[in-house]
Amino acid sequence: MSALAALKMVKVPPNSASMEEARKQTLEFFKMACRSLPSVMEIYNLDDVVTVSQLRSTISAQIRKNAHIANPKVIDLLLFKATEELSNIVTHSKQRHHVIGQYVLGHEGGLIQDMGTKDQGISEFLKQFYTSNYF
Amino acid sequence: MGFLLRSLRCSKPLFRSYLSHPFPAHFRWISSSSALLRPESSVALAADPPPRTPVAGARVHIPNPDDAIEVFVDGYPVKIPKGLTVLQACEVAGVDIPRFCYHSRLSIAGNCRMCLVEVEKSPKPVASCAMPALPGMKIKTSTPVAKKAREGVMEFLLMNHPLDCPICDQGGECDLQDQSMAFGADRGRFTEMKRSVVDKNLGPLVKTVMTRCIQCTRCVRFATEVAGVQDLGMLGRGSGEEIGTYVEKLMTSELSGNVIDICPVGALTSKPFAFKARNWELKGTETIDVTDAVGSNIRIDSRGPEVMRILPRLNEEINEEWISDKTRFCYDGLKRQRLNDPMIRGPDGRFKAVSWRDALAVVAEVAHQVKPEEIVGIAGQLSDAESMMALKDFLNKMGSENVSCEGNGISPNADLRPTYLLNTNISGLEKADAFLLVGTQPRLEAPMINARIRKTVRATQAKVAYIGPPSDFNYDHQHLGTGPKTLLDIAEGRHPFCSTLLSAKNPAIIVGAKIFERKDKDAIFSAVETIAKLHKVIRADWNGLNVLLLNAAQAAALDLGLVSSPSESIRSAKFLYLMGADDVNLEKLPDDAFVVYQGHHGDKSVYRANVILPSSAFSEKEGTYENAEGCSQWTVPAVPTVGDARDDWKIIRAVSEVAGVRLPYDNLEAVRARIRMVAPNLLHVDERESSTVSVDMKPDFQHQMSLEPFEAAVENFYMTNSITRASKIMAQCSSMLLKK
Repeated sequence: MSALAALKMVKVPPNSASMEEARKQTLEFFKMACRSLPSVMEIYNLDDVVTVSQLRSTISAQIRKNAHIANPKVIDLLLFKATEELSNIVTHSKQRHHVIGQYVLGHEGGLIQDMGTKDQGISEFLKQFYTSNYF
Repeated sequence: MGFLLRSLRCSKPLFRSYLSHPFPAHFRWISSSSALLRPESSVALAADPPPRTPVAGARVHIPNPDDAIEVFVDGYPVKIPKGLTVLQACEVAGVDIPRFCYHSRLSIAGNCRMCLVEVEKSPKPVASCAMPALPGMKIKTSTPVAKKAREGVMEFLLMNHPLDCPICDQGGECDLQDQSMAFGADRGRFTEMKRSVVDKNLGPLVKTVMTRCIQCTRCVRFATEVAGVQDLGMLGRGSGEEIGTYVEKLMTSELSGNVIDICPVGALTSKPFAFKARNWELKGTETIDVTDAVGSNIRIDSRGPEVMRILPRLNEEINEEWISDKTRFCYDGLKRQRLNDPMIRGPDGRFKAVSWRDALAVVAEVAHQVKPEEIVGIAGQLSDAESMMALKDFLNKMGSENVSCEGNGISPNADLRPTYLLNTNISGLEKADAFLLVGTQPRLEAPMINARIRKTVRATQAKVAYIGPPSDFNYDHQHLGTGPKTLLDIAEGRHPFCSTLLSAKNPAIIVGAKIFERKDKDAIFSAVETIAKLHKVIRADWNGLNVLLLNAAQAAALDLGLVSSPSESIRSAKFLYLMGADDVNLEKLPDDAFVVYQGHHGDKSVYRANVILPSSAFSEKEGTYENAEGCSQWTVPAVPTVGDARDDWKIIRAVSEVAGVRLPYDNLEAVRARIRMVAPNLLHVDERESSTVSVDMKPDFQHQMSLEPFEAAVENFYMTNSITRASKIMAQCSSMLLKK
C-alpha cells in the first residue's frame, strides 16, 4: 500500500527549465518505479516469471531507449506518460498478461529485447526478416 | 446450387390452375405442386426458354460436319456430334440433369434412374445418361412427367437412406442432399424400418458407412476402370444389394482416395478427416502438389492454421480429376516433426534454440572460414525454383560451383531440356500405342502418369513393355528383362519387341530418373536414343522419348543449372548447405564438416546438422515448381508458417547479407526477374514450354555399359519425402497396404 500511497502523492512535476532539471526528474521517476517493484511483483504474482532486478533493467532499458532526446519539453512529456503507465500498473489497472507481455517478454523493452547498435548498417530486408516472415 | 435455383424457378405452384379446380378428384399426399397432379395436360405449358450457356463450360467439337445431328432440348435446338447421350446433349444445351450413377470419366451404368427426362413420342421417361441422342429428338427436362419421375426416384433412394446428415461427413457437399432439396418431394410416405448394411473395412484411408450407400456403383467402376484393381464389387440382389470387397480384403490401390470424391453420398468418406471439420468452415486454396514430379493440381482446405484435407482440382492436362493417396493424405505430416526455431548444436550434441540473428551469424562466420571449393550446397526434392535460384547465386558468390539437387545424379546433363523432360506430355501419352518403360515403375513413381498409361491401354489396347526389377502393374504388360542387356538387345534390333515398336504409329519410351544415379547413365541413354532412332520415336509431329522425373524440384533444378555431382563434392566438403535435402548420402562427409540444414521437417539430415534454419513447407509459401513434363506451376500459401520459420529464399537472402555477399533481390518479383535471366520458361506459369532443339544435336558418347540390373526408385510408395515420412497416415498405409 505504501507504494500506492506514495504514488497518490505524486503530482506531475512542473516543466523542467533545463536539461539538468529534466535529468533529475528522470532519476526521480526511476527511483520511484524501483521502489514500487516489490508491490508490483506481489500484485501480479510475478515471482515465477521474473525477478526484481530483471524488471529494473527493463525499466532502465526503456529509459535509455530515449537517451538521445535533448529537448526538455519532450522529456517532460515522456516522463508524464511513464508516470501514467506506472500508476496504471501499481493500481492494478492492468492484468498479469499485460505486464508479462510488455515487460517480461515484449519486443520493445522486454527482457528478450535486442536493442542497440547491432542492427545498424543492415538492409531493410534483413530488419524485416528478423521480425517476421510476412513482409 | 444451380440445381436448386433452377428447379425453384420452374416448379412454382400454379395457383390459378389449382383454384380453378375446386374439387380435386384425388388428393395425393406426396405431390409438391398441383401441376404434377395432371402430368399429361401440362405439355402445352412449355414456353420457349432463353438459350442457356453450356453446363460447366461444356464444349463440343464436331470434327466432321456430316456427323452433326440436331436435337431440341426444352425446345431449344442444339447441334451435337453423333454418339453423344441425351444427358450430354442437355449439358451442351445448358441444362444440368440430376444424376448419381453417371460420371463422365467412368463407364455408363444407368442404374440410379435419377436422370430421367421426357422424350417426345417415347412412352416412358428415358434414362438420359444411357440413351443415345438421335436426330430430331425432342428432349424435355422440366416437364411434369420428368419432375414426377425424379420425385419418385428420389423417394425410392431416400427410402433406405439413413437420416444421419447431422453426423455425416458428406453433409454440405452431398449430392443426395442437394438433389433431394431440388428435386425431391417435401414429405415421405415411408413408415417401415430402413435397411442397414454392415460396414466394410477398406483400409486406413477410406471410411465406409454402407447403410448410406445408394448403389450407384461409381466406386466399383472407378476401381475396375481407373484404378485397375478388382477389389470392389456388388454383392447380392434387390434390396439386399451391397458394395463390398468379395473377401475380407483391403482396397490396395494408390488411387483409392478418389472413391471418396466420386461417392455422391456419405457412404465412402475420408477416414483421417472423419468428424474433423465441416466443409463450409474450410478455406480452400488452389495450389499444386509436390510429393511427386507430376505436379497434380490440388485444393488445400484449411481451418485457421491447420490443413484439414487435400482435394484434387480439375486439370485435364495433368491429373484430370484424380490424385494419388500420397498427395491426398500426406497433410498430417505437415503438423508433425516440424522445425519451428533456428537451432544450433551445442558442444554436448544437443540442439539449442537461438534467435535468427545468432544462427545466421554462426552460419556466415563458418562459411568464411572454409575454402570456397569446400562449400557445397544441395537442394532437396521439395525445393521451389526461387529458393534454388537463391541458393545457386549465394554459393556462386561465395566462390563455389558445387550446387546440386538431390536425385539428379552424377553431373546431370542439363544442356538440352528434352533430355530430362516428359516430351510427349502427360495428356499426349494417350495418343501412344506402344510403350517401352525403361527402369521406371510409374505406378510407384508417378501414379497419375500410370493412370494415363492405363487409360491408354484400356482405350486402345496399347502394348506396354517393361525393363526393370519385378514390379506390380495394373494393366497388361510384358516384362522383357531386368537390366541393360535387354535394352541392348532392343537397340540392336534382336528383340521380338522391336517389331511391336516398329509397327506402332506413336511409340513412346519412358526412362526412369533412377537411371541418373547410375555410373553408366550416358551409355544407357545413348542406347535408348539408338532405340528411338531405330523405331522413329522422334518425328516432327511426335516426340516419344521421355524421361520420367521423380521429384518436384528436379526439373526446375536442371533448368536453373544446379548440376554439380553431390556424391563427389560431399567427400571434400567442409561447409555443407542442405536446403531440405534428406535423401543424400552423408556417410562420405568428413567428420569435421559443418552442416547447415534448412528445412521444414526434422528428418534424416537433421541428425548430422550443426545449425537448423526452419523454413516453410509447400502449403505455406509461394513458389514455382516445374513438373515432369516441363509445365511450371505456382503454389499458393494456404496456412501461415509454423513458429519462427521463414520462406526458403528469404533465409538464403538473409544469410547472404550476413555473410557479406548480399544477393540483389528483396522480394519475390525480383527473384523471379533473376530467374527470367536464367530460365525464362519457369515464369510461363501453367503452360508447357516445348523445346525446339532435338536430341539429335546431342554429341555421341561411347561409354562402357555395366550389366547390373536396374534398381527400383521407390521402395515405399507412401514415404518418399520429409513430409510423408512424418505423416502418421502414411505410416499406417505402409504397414497395412504395402505388399510384403
